[in-house]
Amino acid sequence: MDFALPDDLVTLQRAVREFARREIAPIAAELDREPRYPWTTLRKMGEMGLLGILTPETHGGLGLGHLAYAVLLEEVAAADASHATIASVTNGMPQALLVAYGSDAQRLRWLPRLASGAWIGAFCLSEPHAGSDAAALRTRARRVEGGYRLDGTKAWVTSGGEAQLYLVLAKTDVDAGARGVSAFLLEKGTPGLEFGAPERKMGQHAAVATAVRLDDVFVPEEQRLGAEGEGFVMAMSALDGGRVGIAAQALGIAQAAFEAATRYAAEREAFGQPIREFQGIGFKIADMATRIDAARLLTHRAAWLMDRGFRATKEVSMAKLTASETANFVCDAALQVFGGYGYSADYAVERYLRDARVTTIYEGTSEIQRIVIARQVHRELGR
Amino acid sequence: MIIATYVKHVPDAEARLSAAGDRLDLGDAGFALDGMDEYGVEQAVRLKEAGSAAEIVALALGPARADAALRTALALGADRALLLETDADLDPLAQAGPLAAAVRAAGAELVFVGGKQADWDSAALGPALAEALGWPLCDWTTELRLEGREVIAVHDVDDGSEGWRAPLPVVVTTQQGLNEPRYPTLPNIMKAKRKPLDRQPLEGVEARVATLSATLPQRARRGVRLEGDPVTAATELARRLRDEAKVL
Repeated sequence: MDFALPDDLVTLQRAVREFARREIAPIAAELDREPRYPWTTLRKMGEMGLLGILTPETHGGLGLGHLAYAVLLEEVAAADASHATIASVTNGMPQALLVAYGSDAQRLRWLPRLASGAWIGAFCLSEPHAGSDAAALRTRARRVEGGYRLDGTKAWVTSGGEAQLYLVLAKTDVDAGARGVSAFLLEKGTPGLEFGAPERKMGQHAAVATAVRLDDVFVPEEQRLGAEGEGFVMAMSALDGGRVGIAAQALGIAQAAFEAATRYAAEREAFGQPIREFQGIGFKIADMATRIDAARLLTHRAAWLMDRGFRATKEVSMAKLTASETANFVCDAALQVFGGYGYSADYAVERYLRDARVTTIYEGTSEIQRIVIARQVHRELGR
Repeated sequence: MIIATYVKHVPDAEARLSAAGDRLDLGDAGFALDGMDEYGVEQAVRLKEAGSAAEIVALALGPARADAALRTALALGADRALLLETDADLDPLAQAGPLAAAVRAAGAELVFVGGKQADWDSAALGPALAEALGWPLCDWTTELRLEGREVIAVHDVDDGSEGWRAPLPVVVTTQQGLNEPRYPTLPNIMKAKRKPLDRQPLEGVEARVATLSATLPQRARRGVRLEGDPVTAATELARRLRDEAKVL
């Protein structure tokens, strides 16, 4: 058994840490205060290779595995969670699915642009009335001459209005439940594809999210991804990768909050000594360190299993559940270590806490992760 | 035209060092390409991008781990790399001989060296290398361009800066202000693994200077609390500023 990251990956990790510290971290507070979609830094992330981590080199990506994906995304998230969210979506939902299910023509058309970061990809699954219950979608795709016409409303689309490519799930057969869902790729500018105003969110303000409205949008047949009725299965197949990404993101936020808290606890003095010398603070730091380590080990193991082709649904959910809950615990504890300053917007910890909050919600809530884990455990016991 | 650019593998700025007897213990330190040398790598890459250079050879002299600095230089745009491998602590004069031989063997006509080395703070390697090669030296360079086979540069002097020109071959030492070094992208780091990196054991070279002792600077708070009522304390402060610190 070997818990060390491969040397090559450590080299990439260092490069991304340095990049994120120099380019992303300095603007994180400003983006939180005055939200805007961070195109300038996204372009740099594209040059860096961070927007096509899993996509094969032949299509302009890095062609790395999920372990590398987790390690690198954590570094981005430690600098700014919003950048990690945008990267996670464009790496995962258009690109991973295009790699797995796209036709040669579709891959050639979209992957190089996405992997280089020239284009950003968005994923349109959730609807106002359907989040985790993706089979209950109401967006319709009617067959017409040469393609489909799409109608419906999508919610919480990260990079909505900014991204150039939208992967949309819609029902081609309303009576077939999850088997009636198909996937379509729509380019920005398609007539009838419209965007709502940016949602006002608690955190991750630069990861602009909007509603997406589909008003009788014509989509040619060659822009359907995979076969009719395969959309839901495809989306589910990409969930594991997406959840590893969110676990890594949560870890990055936790790590940033932890480092801020330990620094502060060493510098800040009360009653004549640094506050870390008080057991109450020392125990907090011990708990933070332990939970981050546990979450990281779970995340790396899940990614490692996926890279070896194992089914890792349970392990991925364990990682996502643990890492996101850990991020919330650690950010809250870090804020407590900072005392009154932690509550001030002049310090980063309150932003970390707000940014971390959604990690137990998106890409499957903590409750959904527990359902998945329990189901897998029951299945294993039943065998 | 071939450019040689020297890179040193030095403890990174956040490394924690300790002194053990007569030498520093670098066991737990993280290492990185010396920031001063990055300006030279960047300038070489820019000259090549502008069509002024055909090849960039990165040179290092040091222990086996120094290959990491060369890999970084390759990721930044150097074409090939050479490590003169030795575990010996060699002073700049002792290093200059073998490095000069490597520069000649590479056929380079322009050499970049960091203005000083971040670890021991020595600014001697560039001048020593120029001396060993018998080439002119332009030190502390902040601007540089090539016109045909002539180097036109600006460098810092004590009272300002001066412009300067010389036909190739030339040794140039670099510093902040010359350019803004790029950082290695992940695709280039991955490609750098496939670029040639040669290692040559460095034998028969002896240090001319022996290290006798090493200590780390001690950081101690020297604050003084002035007691008494405000008038007494202020009077005492003024006296100390005038008589002891001599700033008034």
